[in-house]
Amino acid sequence: MSDQEVEAARQRIRGLLTGLFGNDRFVSGVPDDMSLREAGVSSTGLVSLLVAMEDAFGFEWDDEVHPEVLRSIDSLAGHVVALRG
Amino acid sequence: MPVDEETQQDLSYHQDAPRARTRDGVELYYESVGEGTALTFLNNFFLSAPFWRECTGELSRRHRVVTYDFCNHGASTRLSQEPTWEEHAADVIGLLDALEIESTYLVGTSASTQLARDVALEYPDRVRGLVLAGPVFGLRGMRRHRQLNRAWLLTLKNEGIAALYNHMYPEVIAGEMNEEGGTPGFLGLRESFMAMNTPEELINGLTLAQQGDTSPELLSRVVAPTLIVLGDDDILLSPGRGRDLAALFPKGHCEIMPNAGHVPYLDDPETFQTLVLKFVEEAEAHV
Repeated sequence: MSDQEVEAARQRIRGLLTGLFGNDRFVSGVPDDMSLREAGVSSTGLVSLLVAMEDAFGFEWDDEVHPEVLRSIDSLAGHVVALRG
Repeated sequence: MPVDEETQQDLSYHQDAPRARTRDGVELYYESVGEGTALTFLNNFFLSAPFWRECTGELSRRHRVVTYDFCNHGASTRLSQEPTWEEHAADVIGLLDALEIESTYLVGTSASTQLARDVALEYPDRVRGLVLAGPVFGLRGMRRHRQLNRAWLLTLKNEGIAALYNHMYPEVIAGEMNEEGGTPGFLGLRESFMAMNTPEELINGLTLAQQGDTSPELLSRVVAPTLIVLGDDDILLSPGRGRDLAALFPKGHCEIMPNAGHVPYLDDPETFQTLVLKFVEEAEAHV
């Protein structure tokens, strides 16, 4: 898992969040390692992000994914890159 | 797909929110939105007050919607001793007193339908009506609900909170919502579930939910108008049994929500609110 791959995934996820929220004011203020819940992302927002990630990265979420994976932009990006092997 | 502005709410607490003092040493976190006839929502040990924002927007445009955290849950006072049902009922009345609400509609869901019943029986002058969403009562008793709670408690104690969620989800969420939301829906709700609850809170809540009077005869003594909102995919009651249950209340009525499960306000918040509005309107017309 290279740093470049993770950073590219982070930026892609930020782009998806920007699309979901209609502007980047919210997203630009969220650090990579901040809890999305604590940043103000609702369950509805999280579901929309997960659906958007499936389309953008070409994978399907699994019910068994560990709760910590969904915590932050960082953890989501790490999961995406890990799936690619 | 952009996130709907209406649902752009989170589960965070209002940091500057006042607390309602209900008993010696007990202060409850609450939110009160809107004006008019009060609708007070009772959590079911799995929900926190902020959760209701996503399901009560329409109601709060017409009425005063009050949500709060139980003592020993969420942002309310923590006591060393878990409250009894009687103390939870006293907290409801203390909350109404603190907010200067003479009488209210109580909206219970799952385990808290038992609390709604108890408050209506003990303090009938303070209850204008009951909305029981996914009630835990049976026609002859509550064995099924108690057994379900025991199974959930066992899973929680043995395997933890994520396993409890895995156990509960297919039981309380309608098949339609499960298929429609797919894995993203499952994971998104899991994140909320784990944010709203600690294992200790859930153990205490699931333990208390197995206590209390299970007699169906109690229902015949509830004088307040009562609406049962039942999903047609509820794990505890079939639609037919829901109607039979409503008939046990002197002023009972049952509405069936298609493709909804044990927590029908999650499956279809809009229809749920429409049913509640209609019920309140009709009940108020007969006051």
